[in-house]
Amino acid sequence: MRIEVVRSGGFTAVPRQAAVETADHPEGARLAALAEAALASPAAPDAPAAPDGFRYTVTAGGRTLHCAEPHLTPQQRELIHRVLGEGA
Amino acid sequence: MGVFCSIVPPHVLDRLARSSDPSVSAAARRTLEHDARQRTRRRLATAIGPSGATAVSARPADQPDRTVYDARHQDTLPGRRLRAEGTPPIADTSANRAYDGLGATFETYLRAYGRHSVDGRGLPLTASVHYQEDYNNAFWNGEQMVFGDGDGRVFLDFTIPVDVIGHELTHGVTQYTANLDYQGQSGALNESVSDVFGSLVKQYSLGQTAAQADWLIGAGLLAPGIHGKALRSMAAPGTAYDDPHLGKDPQPATMDGYVSGSADEGGVHINSGIPNHAFYLVATALGGHAWEQAGQIWYDVLTGGSLRADADFAHFAAATEAAARARYGEGAQLQAVRAAWSTVGVAPAAAPASGLPRQNPGEQTQEA
Repeated sequence: MRIEVVRSGGFTAVPRQAAVETADHPEGARLAALAEAALASPAAPDAPAAPDGFRYTVTAGGRTLHCAEPHLTPQQRELIHRVLGEGA
Repeated sequence: MGVFCSIVPPHVLDRLARSSDPSVSAAARRTLEHDARQRTRRRLATAIGPSGATAVSARPADQPDRTVYDARHQDTLPGRRLRAEGTPPIADTSANRAYDGLGATFETYLRAYGRHSVDGRGLPLTASVHYQEDYNNAFWNGEQMVFGDGDGRVFLDFTIPVDVIGHELTHGVTQYTANLDYQGQSGALNESVSDVFGSLVKQYSLGQTAAQADWLIGAGLLAPGIHGKALRSMAAPGTAYDDPHLGKDPQPATMDGYVSGSADEGGVHINSGIPNHAFYLVATALGGHAWEQAGQIWYDVLTGGSLRADADFAHFAAATEAAARARYGEGAQLQAVRAAWSTVGVAPAAAPASGLPRQNPGEQTQEA
């Protein structure tokens, strides 16, 4: 499964983007499980996002999730952190 | 002289006073001298009692009520309490900078505009430092400030620039006033208002005139080796940085460079360069302290109740013209506002923005 994370916004507004292919990744099984959990449960989708909170678009297995700081589930946060290699 | 400064740590002022930049060193020296006078005045006030000694019960205090917490590199807020209002500095420099920056922002809004804290009613100011690990961001979450330490490679600690703290707390002010929708042009205005007052907090703290100010947002935040001065430049949008790790500053100064698209809520941090530059043009045309006239006009628009939550640049421009006329008449202020919007390519809406204000209640109703 290909997992892609695109970040926009934040105070700095410096965009970040990264992708992994789980079949090629040493922790592929863990990432795939995280992606399933992350996409299954949007955190507080109707809650207002923080101004300057990071905005994320996560695409995995052809499905897309939009989420924003500070309303991330622990699985979303871990997935984004692992794929992007930066704090989420 | 409207200099505030007891919040800026004396050791910083001492360093600034020795700066090789004459405008910086002069301002810091003025501030140190001003601080000494203020301390004398406070001692006198303590000795002889407050002037006009009346206790108005419903009036918010003229002092902030700050608490700084340690998120301990987790995402749970606020975390462990580190420093409460009125307590001396502690070993954690991030906590002390956050405490000082909250105070600088409170002082600027109070002394320049008579506003008591973010909500105008003395809202306690809460901040958490050390949020997550190597976190390259700071934000207002609707209730409090959150600061990351930065990764040290591209960004340093987000408590370093006082304008970042002023920027984030201004998101709180906007939330309680014009409540600008955080997308598209209204979102870019929301961002711009935070840059404007963030910069004014820095200028007020340093006692700078519009000509002395650097008009940068995030100066001091970029790690050594990163090619850039800051994250945004109000004087010259698009020139703040150009670096392999960051790309190039994407901000336009005029509508010719307006960016559309879905990322960043429609480029709210990019197109904010346009109203940012308009404010810079007004402030530098009028000269003197930018918070006094240019800032007052922008503050009147933000808090006046006539701006729609979905206002676009044209609405905002018309509102600033109306505010300039209402406060200063048909003078230099109105001319400067008109010229600034013309330069950045924004034609003010035909009628002043009105109707459907979605302001949060309570803003103008204290002291009943």
